[in-house]
Amino acid sequence: MLSTHALTAGYGDFQALFGVDFEVRAGEVVALIGANGAGKSTLLRSILGLLSVARDMVRFRGESVGGSKPHAMVRNGIGIVPEGRRLFAGMSIEDNLRVAIDYGRKPQRGENVASLWTIERIYKLFPILRERRDQVVHNLSGGQQQMVAIGRALLTQPMVLLCDEISLGLAPKVIHEIYDVLPMIRQAGTALVLVEQDVSLAQRASDRLYCMLEGRITLTGDSNTMTREAIAEAYFGANHAVA
Amino acid sequence: MQWLDALIQGVLLGGMYAQYALGMALMFGVMRIVNIAHGDLMILLALTGISLAAAFSLGTLSLIVVLVPLAAALGWALQRGILNKVVGEDPLPSLIATFGLSIALQNLMLQIWSADTRSLRGGGLESASIDLGGVYIGVLPVIVLVTAIVLTASLDFVIRGTRFGRGLRAAAADTEAAAMTGVNPKTIYAASTAIAVAILGIAAVFQSLRATVSPADGPAQLIYAFEAVIIGGMGSLWGAFVGSMVLGVAQAIGFRIDPGWGILFGHVIFLAALAIRPEGVMMKRR
Amino acid sequence: MTTLPIVNVQRHTLSSRIAMSLSVVALMALIAMPWWADSGWIRWAVELSCYIAIAQMWNLLAGYAGLVSVGQQAFIGAAGYALFVLCQKFGVNPFLAVPLAMIVPAILSVPTYLLLHRLDGPYFAIGTWVVAEAVRLVTTNLDFVNAGAGLTLRVMTQYRLHEREVAMTILCAILLLVTVGGSYWLLRSRHGLALTAMRDNPVSAGSQGVNVSRLRFLVFIAAAVGTGFAGAIYYMAQLRITPASGYDPKWASISIFIVMVGGIGSIEGAIIGALLYFFADRFFSQYGAIYMVVLGCLTLFMAIYARGGIWGFVSSRFDAPWFPVGRRLVLPNDKGT
Repeated sequence: MLSTHALTAGYGDFQALFGVDFEVRAGEVVALIGANGAGKSTLLRSILGLLSVARDMVRFRGESVGGSKPHAMVRNGIGIVPEGRRLFAGMSIEDNLRVAIDYGRKPQRGENVASLWTIERIYKLFPILRERRDQVVHNLSGGQQQMVAIGRALLTQPMVLLCDEISLGLAPKVIHEIYDVLPMIRQAGTALVLVEQDVSLAQRASDRLYCMLEGRITLTGDSNTMTREAIAEAYFGANHAVA
Repeated sequence: MQWLDALIQGVLLGGMYAQYALGMALMFGVMRIVNIAHGDLMILLALTGISLAAAFSLGTLSLIVVLVPLAAALGWALQRGILNKVVGEDPLPSLIATFGLSIALQNLMLQIWSADTRSLRGGGLESASIDLGGVYIGVLPVIVLVTAIVLTASLDFVIRGTRFGRGLRAAAADTEAAAMTGVNPKTIYAASTAIAVAILGIAAVFQSLRATVSPADGPAQLIYAFEAVIIGGMGSLWGAFVGSMVLGVAQAIGFRIDPGWGILFGHVIFLAALAIRPEGVMMKRR
Repeated sequence: MTTLPIVNVQRHTLSSRIAMSLSVVALMALIAMPWWADSGWIRWAVELSCYIAIAQMWNLLAGYAGLVSVGQQAFIGAAGYALFVLCQKFGVNPFLAVPLAMIVPAILSVPTYLLLHRLDGPYFAIGTWVVAEAVRLVTTNLDFVNAGAGLTLRVMTQYRLHEREVAMTILCAILLLVTVGGSYWLLRSRHGLALTAMRDNPVSAGSQGVNVSRLRFLVFIAAAVGTGFAGAIYYMAQLRITPASGYDPKWASISIFIVMVGGIGSIEGAIIGALLYFFADRFFSQYGAIYMVVLGCLTLFMAIYARGGIWGFVSSRFDAPWFPVGRRLVLPNDKGT
């Protein structure tokens, strides 16, 4: 569905990614793990067109789309829950969600309209948001803000949803609540990419797993059969002494 | 009686300033940029309007109908050709670019229209007035004020309640996150500049009916718009409206004390507002 | 175990030594002008010195402190008027009055900054313009300074032309020494590192212990005094000042044009820009409005496509700074660059 091919990217003179091959298939949940600075967020940013990449480095539904503008990517069917949530300050929950409805992907001819996300379905997923729908987003707790961010991304009707560190800075109970809805998102037919620092959480929630180190993919495989030792080696590098 | 008259004249003058300030508040609210050529664009539209009216013997209403789409197109082109290239975190490029544009426009207008002052004839509208128990109120200034109120209210409605308004607020809050939600920031920017300059098109017609215009008048109008926006609170539309009233009244009262002090009084009120309430009269204190 | 190589901190280069020597020669030639050049040339030299000084001060503000001002004419006019008032009303010796007149822009800059510093970048800029307009209108309404009609520096007639020229060129040399030399000294000092850090990123400079707001305040006052110094000399040479000329927004256009075209954030850029503007003005100002349209478009073009100006273009190709403000580490056996 979505794949990258020998993707290289960087910021100015600094190269951050060195030939990354990455793939998500339809309906799949893929985890992307790695230490801080390994290049996970950079990979998501290059897929979405926030960093410049060559056309054929990113393919989506059989077409080369690398380097398209972010809003065009979103309207094409790639959604993102950005790191740090990035809600629209000064706007209510409902207005935040409606921006996505207004500007997100429009259903194609023949697409099952019943499978589309609606504000109503988001409120079913996160009932607390319905209660506080008219409140301005900066008054919400971190977990509630994350729910709005996920809801907003879903309402752009993505076929692939990229989630950048959605557990970051949240209490374990809240992380649990949020990860509990992922299977429901998947049931709706949306493929998921989970960028995580919490390795065991990522392993449990995903079908397949990629590990990154210093701008390269160092490990890939089935999440369930992967050993902790293999992950540790890929995560820290082969020369790193495991304590 | 004299002071009541000054107050009324000030509010009416404020209606004119509100028409300049509205577009500036919109552009700053959305893009965090100040277009130094704001006043010069208004003068350019006014002089174009005067020439058009003379060439095709257009009435006031038909001139507005012709000039506003022209202004919107000018705004769109300004955004696409110049502002999109300089908008960003660093305020310097947009400031310098629009400053250069302002100098170029002023002198281009000087070359085309010469330094003469010109005005528009409104078929007796500009001199008509109503007598309210000793206080004479001009019909034209009342129309200007009502237009300003209607423009502020409509723009406020568009921003609060429409698809475009939500996209605009989203892009203003966080441009990148808006793009990640499918909003094309460049389209939003171009549309808001087009609206801002279209409003200047209306202001240009009223300004040339009310008073005279000449190529060097732009910077003064820029400063009035700016003062109104700051007094009212940055980026707030009704704030800009109220700020325009405060500025208009300050100038009218200053003018009554001594004709040389009118504009100075406006500057003094602006500086006093900065000292006392830098967040603007319409903004909540944090 | 490896030993760290011994390195020298190099602060001068061959190009900077040449530039420094040329600067000294130029200053000497400037002071000697009354003995080798005619009056027309001296008038031009005074004008050019004022452009360089005013542009350098604007560069310090916009290029380093991040304070874009379009109201520096407030300090030019205020210092000019202070000079004329001291001479005409209080009978102070005009050459002594120049340094005394600096008190006025210094005093004016303090409330200006305190009022305006809360404004965001572009709003700060227009705020300075409002202050300049307010000062101009106050001057226009003051009968004490002859209101809108302006003042004439009659006391100058008691000196012979040669005496005036000697004094003017010495004043110009001091002006350049204070503004250009002073900026150079400031940027090479401990504060220079802080200023450069502030130019590159004010937020991170603040987090690394640079007191950004205090440094900005001091730079604003210094720039006001430097700009005022140039203004006093300029109007002393003109012998006449009016509110319309002294507080002319043209001064803002000139500084912006010079610095943006020459190259913002470098001492060399302001000098190149000032020379360019001076000669363009000599050759093309006869074309009036069209000339100004070209200047405006050029400024616009620089802001969009060539933010570094001419010096930015040159220094990205040749590493030959005239006024290096950085430090470079050189191994002893390395000859340096």
